[in-house]
Amino acid sequence: MGKLGRRALVLLLAGLSMSVIAACGGGDDSGDSGTGGSGGEAKNGGSITMSQTSQPDFMDPALTYTVNGIEPLWLVYTPLLTYPRTGDAEKDSLVVPGLAEDMPTISKDGKTYELTLRKGLKYSDGSPVKASDFEHALKRVLNLESGGSAFFLGIVGAQDYIDAGKCDGDIKGVVTDDKTGKITISLSDPDGSFTNVLAMWFVGLVPGDTPCKNLTENPPPGVGPYKVTESVPNRQFVLEKNANFPDLGPDIPAGHIDKMTTKIIKNPQRQAQDVISGELDYMQDPPPADIKPEVKAKYSDRYREITTASTYYMFMNNRVAPFDKKEVREAVNIGLDKPALARLFAGEVAPGCSFLPPGQPGFDEALDVADCPWGDPNKPPDIEKARQMIKDAGVAGTDVTVYGNNDDPSDKVTEAYADQLTKLGFKAKPKILDGGVYFQTIGSAKVAPQTGFANWFQDFPHPKNFFFLVDGKSIQPTNNQNFGNVDDPEITKGIAELNKEPKMTDEVAARWGELNKKLVERAWIVPYGHRKLATFLSERMDFDNCSRFHPVYFNDYSSFCLK
Amino acid sequence: MATEPLAEQPGLAGPAAWELEAEREHVHGLGPWRLGLRRLRRNKTAIAFGILFVLLVLACLAAPLWAKHVAHTTPDANHLSDTIKLNGKTTNVVGLDGVPIGPTYKGKFFLGADPNGRDIMVRLLYGGRNSLMIGVVAALMTTVLSVVLGVVAGYFRGWLDLAVRSLLDIMWSFPVLILGVALGVALALGGLQIGPITIGGDSLIIPIFIIGLVYVPYMARPVRGQVLALREKEFVEAARAQGAGPLRIMFSEVVPNLASTILVFFTLLIANAVLLESALSFLGAGVRPPNPSWGTMIDEGVDRIATAPHLTVVPGLMLVLTVLSLNVFGDGVRDALDPRAKVRLER
Amino acid sequence: MGRFIVRRVLQMVLVMFAVSVLTFLIFNVIPNSDPAVRMAGRHTSESTIQAIRKEWGFNESLPKQYVTTMEKVVTGDLKSQFTQLPVGKEIVKGLPRTFSLAIGAALLWMFVAICFGLYSAVKAGKFADRFLTIIALIGISMPVFWIGALMNYYLGFKLGWFPNGGYVEFTKDPIGWFYHLILPWTALAILFVGFYSRVLRSNVLDTINEDYVRTARAKGLSERQIMVRHVLRNSMIPIVTLWGLDFGAVLGGGAILTETVFDLQGVGQYTAEAIGQLDVPPVLAVTMFSAFFIVLLNAVVDIMYAYLDPRIRLQ
Repeated sequence: MGKLGRRALVLLLAGLSMSVIAACGGGDDSGDSGTGGSGGEAKNGGSITMSQTSQPDFMDPALTYTVNGIEPLWLVYTPLLTYPRTGDAEKDSLVVPGLAEDMPTISKDGKTYELTLRKGLKYSDGSPVKASDFEHALKRVLNLESGGSAFFLGIVGAQDYIDAGKCDGDIKGVVTDDKTGKITISLSDPDGSFTNVLAMWFVGLVPGDTPCKNLTENPPPGVGPYKVTESVPNRQFVLEKNANFPDLGPDIPAGHIDKMTTKIIKNPQRQAQDVISGELDYMQDPPPADIKPEVKAKYSDRYREITTASTYYMFMNNRVAPFDKKEVREAVNIGLDKPALARLFAGEVAPGCSFLPPGQPGFDEALDVADCPWGDPNKPPDIEKARQMIKDAGVAGTDVTVYGNNDDPSDKVTEAYADQLTKLGFKAKPKILDGGVYFQTIGSAKVAPQTGFANWFQDFPHPKNFFFLVDGKSIQPTNNQNFGNVDDPEITKGIAELNKEPKMTDEVAARWGELNKKLVERAWIVPYGHRKLATFLSERMDFDNCSRFHPVYFNDYSSFCLK
Repeated sequence: MATEPLAEQPGLAGPAAWELEAEREHVHGLGPWRLGLRRLRRNKTAIAFGILFVLLVLACLAAPLWAKHVAHTTPDANHLSDTIKLNGKTTNVVGLDGVPIGPTYKGKFFLGADPNGRDIMVRLLYGGRNSLMIGVVAALMTTVLSVVLGVVAGYFRGWLDLAVRSLLDIMWSFPVLILGVALGVALALGGLQIGPITIGGDSLIIPIFIIGLVYVPYMARPVRGQVLALREKEFVEAARAQGAGPLRIMFSEVVPNLASTILVFFTLLIANAVLLESALSFLGAGVRPPNPSWGTMIDEGVDRIATAPHLTVVPGLMLVLTVLSLNVFGDGVRDALDPRAKVRLER
Repeated sequence: MGRFIVRRVLQMVLVMFAVSVLTFLIFNVIPNSDPAVRMAGRHTSESTIQAIRKEWGFNESLPKQYVTTMEKVVTGDLKSQFTQLPVGKEIVKGLPRTFSLAIGAALLWMFVAICFGLYSAVKAGKFADRFLTIIALIGISMPVFWIGALMNYYLGFKLGWFPNGGYVEFTKDPIGWFYHLILPWTALAILFVGFYSRVLRSNVLDTINEDYVRTARAKGLSERQIMVRHVLRNSMIPIVTLWGLDFGAVLGGGAILTETVFDLQGVGQYTAEAIGQLDVPPVLAVTMFSAFFIVLLNAVVDIMYAYLDPRIRLQ
């Protein structure tokens, strides 16, 4: 307890969603990689009770940006494009048409996207879906100052629309025709990740008369296998099967359970205890470290861990001593005890030293583990060597403040990291801030943090979504996400070039992989692993047949069924 | 018993009760001191707990000795990947699943380790130093402030008295725990800079300052009440007649007569301050990690109560023992110095 | 009486003003961070931050921001910066839970404290008295979050005798409501039982020696009648007034620790979360609400005191 409303995971405020590694396995405790796809025998009907540790930031598709909101809401609001839900991780991380008839036609210069809305679609309240509803959904994202608006600023006129501050204004770059269902989107610059962006829950379609305000207490209708029928903030929300859900093909199926009630239970230990006893059927967070040994020992038949497309790393501020020296950053890369940190995650982290996580195009498993330039991440480090390097660099004894947040186990990881830096010869002291204000604080140039805890979960499977964290162009005085002020001219240039590639071909992926390798080898940051998430269900749930894990959106509620 | 629950934490009910206590206190010369001492000596329980408190303080003061010569570690040193020999078997200090080792009852990890592989015994002793230091200094701050405010208000009366009383009323009506936590959290972000003085976000001064202020009304009001009564006494009149100034009267005549009240309050204030510190730390607004205190240790321990209950139980027990010993001793002192205690016992 | 009311109302206004200014300052001056940046979240753009700044008025001067915020408090328009939900509604949602906790615990501690205190006084100096004294002192010395966490884990989960935290609405399931609140009530009451029984004991001992009790005894009333009719009634006055004050403090969100440990999600826990996120509006509202309750109950207690004990006149 303590620490004022604790979140069990750091997902809050971080971009989320994750990706199962197709070639997963690795250190997973249950060999199968989340592909418990529903067999033919999935039972329909029934109602279940689930739990989340914190209230979704918003129960509104235009606004939510935490896994607590995305996991349920992406099943309620289907965008023009979407991801399949088949249980095949590789297939499920590729964008397919959602409410659009087909994938967009992209102009030669990569700046114009044309889509056509499927015919005869209905919202959960029975009203018809119109092409202009897409523009309205986008307007809500921009007008409501959503955390998602940054993704859509590449659309022509988006900035002007925001500046005008009027909900019913016009976005120049979006033209829709309700009669033909045609939607044309113009970008000011080509963006290779734009199909991924169009598949984000932010632009899940909502009726054109949905007001431009936070609708958490009364979520609007959408097109999806489920609809929200009740939403009481900080207490519970209810999803029920949407009878008007159209047939979008076998890869985008309807759900099995009729009614799912999600309760907000702030204590993760209690949630795990309740799933064990059957009072709850599913908990959205993994069981906490405290209960996990018991879960693993006794209930392994309904528990599974899956490595996600996420990276946990320590940032080192390149503009502040002592980390402005390359040898110092290298020494920290050599000296960081990665397996020790993994213990603090109770094994819920797969040690690795690649910045790009598994599941992202360009990920290289060899670089991550076997050929890691800084030594095998699963073995204790060469502390003596690192110590010597720091001594040689003349920075031994320097005061270092190590930033971290108070979400379990980040606080413990930060304290351990500080202790390891002390063992390497610094005088390191941890500084723990509340998770709700952490990233904003360390993103301020005024604070100028030396080093500290950072992590990122992918928003979508495209390296662009990771590389903005180390892009020299994204450095800014406030709200900086490039915490270490990484500004490698070669990498920055490479990011700019690759961002423009319209298609993710093998060649493009390989080039992203090259950038990743440079980033790791030049010791700009210290990645130490990729987070595993868990599925833990109650006795009465059909774990074997009905617990798909989605590479982008985690546990797939639409796959759940009772025994 | 003059401690009251502060809402739920170091509890408090209201100055009314303390004033009640103060009314009961008798005002007289130095005579009763010897009498009180004799009575206290007869109260074996109070003496025993007084000794217990002294032992606890000594143990915490000896923390560096234990750390250096027995446990061979420091309070902040992590031993995540270390192993120790236990009954001939090599054991991980922290298991691969993150479960720390339990009490070994040997020099190293006498009371086990925490999830970071830090020695609980060492942290317990160092944490005690922090908890007690905060308790004592905060109690001292409260006492000084209360005596000054109480004496000034009670002696001068008039508008000064009204001003002090209003100030105390306002302070007392504050939702203290909420504001204390708010202040702690806000300060933790960036510390505070007042002119040339910079207070770091992890400074112990912050919890001391918060706690020290919180209890002022609880003590200042009864002190004022006593001063009101004292200033009408013959010896004060006599001093005034001899031409002594107000300052001289206050400090050479009035304050010494408050000694027994101050002593009792001080003891009980330490007890309450230690409790309040633990509450603030538990809510993340007191002692900042990695600095240990009993409150932060309980806070960290609760997350592992199923796999490592000792992380919660041990610091809690230390806290209870310390506060209890102060409360029992303070209670005994109060009974001993209150001449009517004897009257009360006969039926 | 009229002057008394005027003074109390003035005090209330003054306190609420002071509390609101202080809360406002704590969150707006001390933290080294920009509320607009905090609200925008992690992946955002400068234009979004600017828009938030404009909409919430963070560009204005502090006094102006304060006035705007207070206007919203008065009109009930106050919204959380973090969730953008109306603060008043969230507090009202938490109130039944906080009230359930407060009323049950308050009745429990009062009842047990009377039993302990009376018995202790009757047996003053004997073993039973000393034993109860030690028990009471132990109760006072225990941090509520510690004993609460231990009870929750051992009695709630390990032995399974009680629910392991949480709250059930009274209107939906009165038995479940009671069952879920037994542990929180007990944890919160332990502390007060210790204190109240000690105060009651010394009051009873004082009263027993009063003249009117001797007179009653001389009149030949039975020991039981004397205890109940004379001693207890008079010893209860200070206890009842204390009770009113403590009840007010717990109701005003003072039970942060108990609510957090048992996950009751009342006003206290709501505040604790808001504080962690440096979310000013909810904390501002709760501290003012809390100060209001404390001052109000303070006044009620003073009136009650004067009514019960005619020797005291309201100044």
